[in-house]
Amino acid sequence: MFGTLSYNKQKTIIIVSFLLIPLILLATFTYYPALKLVYYSFTNWDGYSPEKPWVGLDNYREVFNTPDIFKVFTHNFAYFVMGLVQNIVAIYFAVVLNSKLRGRNAFRIMLFLPYIMNGVAVAFMFGYVFDTTNGSLNLFLNSIGLTGLGQTSWLGTEGLVNYALASTGFWRFMGYNMVIYIASLQAIPRDIYEAAKIDGANSMQTLWRITLPNMKAVIQLNLFLTVTGALEVFDLPFVLTKGGPAGASQTYVQRVVDTAFAFNNYGLASAMSVILLFFVVIVLLIQQLVLSRGGDK
Amino acid sequence: MRNKLFSLCFVIIMIFSLSLTGCGSNNNNNAATATDEPAATTAPETAAGEATAAPATEPAAAGGADISGKIIFLTNRTDMIGKEYDEYVKRFNEKYPNIKVEFEASQTDYNQQAKVRMASGELPDVMFVPNIPNSDLPKYFASLDDLGLNDQLTFKDFKSFDGQLYGITTGNSTSGIVYNKKAFADAGITEVPKTWDEFLAACEKLKAKGVVPLASNFKDKWPLNDWVYAVPRVIAGNPDFPNEKLTQDAPFTMDNGYGKALGLLRELNEKGYLEKDINSTNWEQSKKDIASGKFAMYFLGNWVINQVIGAGTTSDNVGFFPLPYDNSGTLTAPLSPDFFYAVAKNSKNVDAAKAFVKWMIEESGYEDFAGFISPLKGKESKLTQLKEFQSTGVVLQEGTVDDAKVTEITNKAQLDLPAMVQEFVLAKDPQTVFDKWNKAWAKAKKDLGY
Repeated sequence: MFGTLSYNKQKTIIIVSFLLIPLILLATFTYYPALKLVYYSFTNWDGYSPEKPWVGLDNYREVFNTPDIFKVFTHNFAYFVMGLVQNIVAIYFAVVLNSKLRGRNAFRIMLFLPYIMNGVAVAFMFGYVFDTTNGSLNLFLNSIGLTGLGQTSWLGTEGLVNYALASTGFWRFMGYNMVIYIASLQAIPRDIYEAAKIDGANSMQTLWRITLPNMKAVIQLNLFLTVTGALEVFDLPFVLTKGGPAGASQTYVQRVVDTAFAFNNYGLASAMSVILLFFVVIVLLIQQLVLSRGGDK
Repeated sequence: MRNKLFSLCFVIIMIFSLSLTGCGSNNNNNAATATDEPAATTAPETAAGEATAAPATEPAAAGGADISGKIIFLTNRTDMIGKEYDEYVKRFNEKYPNIKVEFEASQTDYNQQAKVRMASGELPDVMFVPNIPNSDLPKYFASLDDLGLNDQLTFKDFKSFDGQLYGITTGNSTSGIVYNKKAFADAGITEVPKTWDEFLAACEKLKAKGVVPLASNFKDKWPLNDWVYAVPRVIAGNPDFPNEKLTQDAPFTMDNGYGKALGLLRELNEKGYLEKDINSTNWEQSKKDIASGKFAMYFLGNWVINQVIGAGTTSDNVGFFPLPYDNSGTLTAPLSPDFFYAVAKNSKNVDAAKAFVKWMIEESGYEDFAGFISPLKGKESKLTQLKEFQSTGVVLQEGTVDDAKVTEITNKAQLDLPAMVQEFVLAKDPQTVFDKWNKAWAKAKKDLGY
């Protein structure tokens, strides 16, 4: 029956029918809930009752009148710092493992494996690592003679807990970043390196002048993932510390979840989510402006 | 450049909306369905319940074969599925051969899961009452007055509204000190402490032996619930103490029930009678450590007794006594209900579901398995530990229903009492913690107009 249609019509039908399913899925599971979220942020819905009283901007006013809520972002700073370190280490490993190294595939797999694991499983695992009295980390420190350090309460010291948690994220996501960097390294044309070699550039100079500038776009992408990741941390502190000790490792998303489910205030929680959304957009715009100052290609 | 910025924004929004679906998808399917059916089913239901309250028991017991249907029970005791529950169903079917019972395991947080299901209008036939105001009970659950248990039930008013009963306690707990008898004997403690000073002396002896006196499981927060939900009202000698917050602008003071109760825990921590690092505790491991005598005591509900025994010791090695919270020598312990059974009013087989609830309460023996005191008044426990507990002459103080307004203020103030306990114990100056929450309380109370 399609044979009678013109080629262009057939093409349109095929394109539309192929696109329809993913677009419907996207609309139902992404845009519709997102719109609902914005709608809920203007109500003071308790999360289960049929009535959803409209309160206008009250929720937003309440969020901005409670400076306490934004204080938790200082906890996210640790994740941001660790994320930067993670990217630097990932670039290092990418460069090393992109050279002609014996068994480099084995190393790549080893570094990438943690990313495949389930986040909650990783969190549980690190619960045993960081345990103060029976944890493997402290047992190790004690066995090499650092008994002073081996008494540290990794998850129970206010200034330390976020870094301890963030280091778990480092362990988990470093391989992922590394794989992205390796892909971008392989896209750099060999002849540039050859030309540089002929001109007498040493390896440090090639790294600084050729490799890094060519990876700029990918570095930006990874930084983007790092920043959003740092702002949205949830699973690690939720499983490992429940925000403790005394709220020192509570993150913004955790607070949103508590507001919605523990304190029955979906409206306020939705407003907090929408604010986080805008917050991330602003931070990323700033990042984009700062990083692209050098001019576009 | 401009184009690039725009596309970046677009990508950001796409990614974000993706990540937001996690929160959103819970919300989106709840609106319409929840309101659909209520009115129709309740009217005949409650009318019948009122009229036939007494005779209803007879037919239910005798004519078990008349009731048929399939019911689903959403349970938090995932460990019992395929084991004890199978045995229960077998015995249940001897009496009610035509009822098919299925179990659904609750993932992680029962309360949250139940609320999501309530919002979507897809409740299982038999479930536990989640944490909602009592005034909402008639919207979701069927009245249970026609089970004919009313005059035997403990905590009858707890999940009732307008004189109708909607939830029946699955079992009652009291809280006290669960201890390893061998650890006590090894430390030279011959008699169970009856005053706070004796208790501290016992802790000192245990500590000297290298045993951790009291496992608080501080990090996990929920094991602190009794310290803040039960002990204050017992110390204050007033079952309604938690609800009196409604009339106060500063409900937390050092010299009322809250300050005294939390002060006890703080004192234990300062003297080193809790775990070495209370911010790094492990609940599963602590059960094994209590069983083996590495830790000596828990302050928890009696439900934990069977779990300690299950972790590797014998029943006669585990003892249970009331917490001696002061030096008066008279002992009072809190009696609290556990989860409440409820029957969804939209259930297709309400009668079958009710028969199952009644059977669970009267005949299953679940309370002995779970280590509860029976939900029925005067039914004696088969557990030796509970007998030991009661032989101390302790008075059991039945709690009262949480006032919906107090819950509302608590939520508005974003006050999580067990989290406040953690802050109180860890703070350099505990008064600042109370000041902070008193302020939040007063503000929330004012905002809500109470």
